[in-house]
Amino acid sequence: MTAAGADLAFLGARQLAGLVRDRKVSPVELTQLYLDRIERLDGRLRAYITVLPEAALAAARRAEAAVMRAEALAPFHGIPYAVKDQFDTAGVRTTSGSRILEDHVPAADATTIARLNAAGGILLGKLNLTEFALGGTQQFPFGQPRNPWNLDHDPGGSSSGSGIAVAAALCAASLGEDTGGSVRSPASFCGVVGLRPTWGRVSRHGSFPLSWSMDTPGPLGRSVEDAALLLQAIAGYDPNDPLTSRAPVPDYSRALGDGVRGLRVGIIRELTFGADTQPEVRDAVVAVARKLEGLGAATEEVSLRLVPLAGAIFMALADADGAGVHHRWLRTRAADYDQGTRRRLLTASLIPSAVQQRAARARALLRAEMLDLLARHDVLLCPTAHQAAPPIAAARAAITTRHEAAGRFFTRRSYVTPAALAGTPAIAVPCGFTRSGLPISVQLIARRFDEATLLRAAHAYEQATGWSKRRPPETA
Amino acid sequence: MVSDLTTDHVAALAAALGLPITPDDLVEVTHRLNALVEALEPLAALPLETIEPTARLADEPPAS
Repeated sequence: MTAAGADLAFLGARQLAGLVRDRKVSPVELTQLYLDRIERLDGRLRAYITVLPEAALAAARRAEAAVMRAEALAPFHGIPYAVKDQFDTAGVRTTSGSRILEDHVPAADATTIARLNAAGGILLGKLNLTEFALGGTQQFPFGQPRNPWNLDHDPGGSSSGSGIAVAAALCAASLGEDTGGSVRSPASFCGVVGLRPTWGRVSRHGSFPLSWSMDTPGPLGRSVEDAALLLQAIAGYDPNDPLTSRAPVPDYSRALGDGVRGLRVGIIRELTFGADTQPEVRDAVVAVARKLEGLGAATEEVSLRLVPLAGAIFMALADADGAGVHHRWLRTRAADYDQGTRRRLLTASLIPSAVQQRAARARALLRAEMLDLLARHDVLLCPTAHQAAPPIAAARAAITTRHEAAGRFFTRRSYVTPAALAGTPAIAVPCGFTRSGLPISVQLIARRFDEATLLRAAHAYEQATGWSKRRPPETA
Repeated sequence: MVSDLTTDHVAALAAALGLPITPDDLVEVTHRLNALVEALEPLAALPLETIEPTARLADEPPAS
């Protein structure tokens, strides 16, 4: 691998699309570059479950022919991307990270995959994930995904491979799915950008479900503008998903450069300054607020009193939905689940209905609090996670008390689940590194269907800093 | 009131639902379930009775 090749691989999808359009880079050359990197690096990182070299190169040759014929090119034309193995791909095994579906081959593409392909994308392969996108997998059926910043550390989940592949330049951009942080958590731990769109903005058709009221596909990229590029391709009404909105899809790239002057930013006190937030994370997020002030935004601390309970509220609702999805297999194929997945689903199957209903009411209250804050602030700001990526071994430790269970499952989820519970868009953006060299991430949250403001604020911060430009040591 | 489900309670609930559960799973599932119920205990002090437990609220754009 030449330095020039690595430099090319680490360019953003939008930059690469420009090079393809200008005939400075061939889609075939680009696809081969990523396939070579996957071959060389993924044995350690385990971002991919399935790689599609023949199909990707065939698509790249078609893309190259279109360039040479000077056809009108779609914005994503010739760009190699990869998707979480939760999304159906016609004729390609789609496992959802589980042995239960290890031989499952869908007949049709998920709507998001069809749209990315129609936008000119070249599908490199299917990416690793925690089993059934649940989180807490102990033994990954298709290999332990590892953080490219430190192989002993967790890459985050559930879209683990989607974060790794972007961070390690094993694709130009990726698609994940976010029920309660599954795009933003791996983006945070792997040091890339991850966007959870407004619930209802992107079709869920062809994506294995967890929670009907919170699941949403979302892009991961090496920059905010790449997240905007992918969102543009996948957003919009889909007759196959009746819960998608018919609201018009704006041009997300148009306002990216408008800056943050005059924006009102609320810093969520409980998540930024709470006792669970590691000091290095808190300091990095406070520095983000100061940077945004320097760029012309007005910031103030705000309070969301129910936020510390968001993780538990989320699990009472989303996990119960998931238990319903899995009920038949839990009865007939329990031993085929990973131990962590099985225990989580069994727990969710037994949640008392009174507890679920109380959680549903609390969700409505939390949502109302968030929407009230967002009526007075353009953007809310907090850490994406209370800590940088923990060691993989920490997630495998046995749970021997209810206190350990609470610490393991609820604390970290309280940072990413508020946006899921409220249905608002949120984005994770790199904002620094720990002393040990692991990425730190800030989260911005905006009003429903106002991804344009969210992306604009994130882009302004990203352009004023440059954390996204660092490369992980395991990817040279 | 802090929930204190025992492994016997959880085993009975699982059996009633036809869910097979191993002894090892049973211990951890009991911890997890107690942790969840306990974590949500503070909600009992909130005025939730007048709030409708809906996921989709009035600010949603129409789906069709």
